[in-house]
Amino acid sequence: MNSIAHSRQSPLGQTLARILERRSSRVALGILTAIVLVGILAPLIAPYDPAAQPDIVALKELAPSWLHPFGTDPYSRDVLSRVIYGARLSLFIGFLATLVSLTLGVAYGATAGYAGGLIDSIMMRILDAFLAIPRLLLLVAILAAWPQLSVGALILFLGLTGWFGVSRIVRGQVLALKHAEFVTAARALGASRRRILWRHLLPNLVSPIVVAATIGVAHVIVLEAGLSYLGIGVPQPEASWGNIIRDGSDQVATLWWMSLFPGLMMVLTVMTLNVLAESMRGAYDRSST
Amino acid sequence: MTASASSSTALLSIRDLRTYFHMGSAVARSVDGVSFDIGAGETVGIVGESGCGKSVTALSILRLIQPPGRIEAGSRIEFEGKDLVTLGDEEIRHVRGNRISMIFQEPMSALNPVFTVGDQVAEVARIHAGVSRKEAWNRAVEALALTGIPAAADRARQFPHQLSGGMRQRVLIAMALMMKPALVIADEPTTALDVTIQAQILELLVDLQKKFGTSILMITHDLGVIAETTSRVIVMYAGEIVEEAAVDELFSKPHHPYTEGLMHAMPHIGRELERLNVIPGTVPAPTDWPLGCRFRDRCPYSWDLCAHEHPPLYQIGTSHTSRCHLAIEPERRKHPHPPLVVMEGAAVA
Amino acid sequence: MIRYVAERLAQAAVIVAFVAAISFALIHLAPGDPFSAAIDNPSINDAIRDRLRAQYGFDRPLPEQFARYIGQLSRGELGWSFSHDRPVRDVLADALPNTLLLMSVALVGSFTLGILIALVQVARRGSATDHVLGGISLFFLSMPDFWFAILALLAFTYWLPIFPVGGAVDPVMHEYMSIGGRIFDRLRHLLLPALTLTLLASASVARYQRAALLDVLPADYIRTARLKGLTEKAILRRHALRNATLPIITMIGLSFPALLTGAVFIERVFAWPGMGYAVVNAIAARDYPLVVGAVIIGSIMVMVGSLLADILYAWADPRIRDE
Repeated sequence: MNSIAHSRQSPLGQTLARILERRSSRVALGILTAIVLVGILAPLIAPYDPAAQPDIVALKELAPSWLHPFGTDPYSRDVLSRVIYGARLSLFIGFLATLVSLTLGVAYGATAGYAGGLIDSIMMRILDAFLAIPRLLLLVAILAAWPQLSVGALILFLGLTGWFGVSRIVRGQVLALKHAEFVTAARALGASRRRILWRHLLPNLVSPIVVAATIGVAHVIVLEAGLSYLGIGVPQPEASWGNIIRDGSDQVATLWWMSLFPGLMMVLTVMTLNVLAESMRGAYDRSST
Repeated sequence: MTASASSSTALLSIRDLRTYFHMGSAVARSVDGVSFDIGAGETVGIVGESGCGKSVTALSILRLIQPPGRIEAGSRIEFEGKDLVTLGDEEIRHVRGNRISMIFQEPMSALNPVFTVGDQVAEVARIHAGVSRKEAWNRAVEALALTGIPAAADRARQFPHQLSGGMRQRVLIAMALMMKPALVIADEPTTALDVTIQAQILELLVDLQKKFGTSILMITHDLGVIAETTSRVIVMYAGEIVEEAAVDELFSKPHHPYTEGLMHAMPHIGRELERLNVIPGTVPAPTDWPLGCRFRDRCPYSWDLCAHEHPPLYQIGTSHTSRCHLAIEPERRKHPHPPLVVMEGAAVA
Repeated sequence: MIRYVAERLAQAAVIVAFVAAISFALIHLAPGDPFSAAIDNPSINDAIRDRLRAQYGFDRPLPEQFARYIGQLSRGELGWSFSHDRPVRDVLADALPNTLLLMSVALVGSFTLGILIALVQVARRGSATDHVLGGISLFFLSMPDFWFAILALLAFTYWLPIFPVGGAVDPVMHEYMSIGGRIFDRLRHLLLPALTLTLLASASVARYQRAALLDVLPADYIRTARLKGLTEKAILRRHALRNATLPIITMIGLSFPALLTGAVFIERVFAWPGMGYAVVNAIAARDYPLVVGAVIIGSIMVMVGSLLADILYAWADPRIRDE
């Protein structure tokens, strides 16, 4: 019954309207917006300079207090400030790396799905091979070969190893849509292949791609933190959530605040992304049936 | 009011059954005040187009309606002295598959693909007869043999996908008759089958009914099936019974214009109505039934009375009822006109 | 069935070759070569490095090197680990059983736990229990493996010291224990890492299994089961679960990469002497052959896992079994 009310909106607009009907997704969206704002406004919000080492003897390894709510690290840096700047960096990396993955994945998947036949099956076999390699191990192999890469290169590699799943989704959707009636109709009216692809297929792909992108950002944030924790992610002394945890990992028991707070921020971010992705998928499934 | 052949000794007695589906603010009144009886050993047919409420009626009897659907308060389904509507979960389970069983339209999807057919038939005996695994298996093989499955002992060890459609339907019949139930509800039991197999399955059902004295509620949109198997017919339209009569009476003197339409749509026995679709228009949406007669738009005799007065079931013969105002103004039958849907369609075009 | 397995094996072989090609490319694209990586070791001078290069064929043309590399791989030779001063194969052979132990305990544990959670959720679908359990699984799904491992370590070895801090056995006392004592010592060390990985992995199993069960429930044969008079519980346990087992087998195959990734971090946090621990140390020691060797073995493990899952799937589904 609701579909009538929404029918004038675009598919994405419909999906967005649907997910906002749920309280959990409104809360998630609110939290995520807050985290993104904290990241963007980091220089205004952070109480200290995240790189400053004011007194590496007197001010190091301080437990949380009013002056340093998240404590300080072994170099006397303020952990709260580093966590705030970490939000900025982690979200930045997550967003850009996902953009790279999406571009590659959509291009590859749409090409395979639209070409069909032999080209499609060859492209899918290649994809199978990529998918068989665990992403973390692949990244470990790459990043261990080039120690202390710049953030830009890290983003590129995170993006380069993240498009396989997206391209599979896109290919499936393109295959399904290729035989849909409206595409046949467009072809019967003499529309060119490229025109069909851009005008008719991509708008229909928006919802599944947005879902994949949301999950993709969450994955990249977790991966980046894991790689930084292993010492092959964001180069030191840049503040990322994984780096902060790594800085405290030699003395987990005494410097517990260095693991706890950045981790909590990370879980909060990833969980809101997952909640949003899930409700988007639910809304999308409902509107397509 | 109802035209039951044997209302005092009815096996199943349904009174004012209303099954509604609550979807947000909308309510689909799929079954909207249905009353009828089935006597012991009797075969009653329910006929109508898809969406008229016949399958929902069948599922309501066994309380197999899943949310958001529910049987509304005030509905009564009396069976062997119990009201199935208010029966506890435990007790209704004792009825299902034991006293009342059901055969579905899709013999492939109605069987679980990962168990052997013997297992699935035997399960009924394990639940209701409380017998050992081995005894249940023996009974299952017996039941399968009874339905005419050759080499039943071997077939029992096969999986559903290894059997033909007709064989699978026999398996479902074996399952349904395992406990020698008082009533079998057959919901389009032959629709998915080839014409030749259809006849065999119907014959089998009739034979087994004679053997066990089981009552059958035959739900179909195929008047040919009705003619071959039943003694009394209920015609449903838009969630209501619109006509009820003995089978000969219905075929020789249909009263309701909808029944008339169904008859015209039946050139041969065994052909399916819906594909012919000679009654213009479609069943209205169950979320907003029209106020007056629900068939008015599609009816060639309708007049102003039909627009605002919902017709009651008129008694038009000893055991013949019809929900049509023609019962009080029979002369209007002589002056048919194009139905409203046709006129509106012409106006739009 | 045999043809199917053969086809899948051939496919897997191609993929392994592909992984090998990628790792070969990485080795040669990386700055320097494995021998310059041993730069920290002052006892190795340039002459020795050149001799090592010649010994391992690093001075030959690339195509020849690639052919040699593939040849070595097919004989199971993965190169020389500089940090361990032993063949990579031997280092990994020592570490692999520990990783497999951790992963298999977690695999069994997470599928048992995940399926149980899903059954409870589906039996009470739409209730508060369903929502709370769903929220908990989403929380676990959102947690980075290493962070949860650190929390577990903090909670159960420091704040509430009921488990040993790390390693597979007690570093000092293990040698002096009786056989029973040794087994107990191993179990004591295994429990916390295995439990951590189990909890992490069971979140996605529960979510996947819940969806699979809900997919099965509207099926006609579930209605048939209801019609027979089975209880809802029996329908879930017997009919729905058995059919939802097929997707769960697929899930087993798909869960290997996540399990392996989880194992890498958990081994690092708990100093569990498996492949992940070896890789992490190799990264720090710039022992690149060991890193690449572990990546290849890891990929093979994932592939074997998904192959086994596919065979299991074909065996469990009577419709496929016949083909």
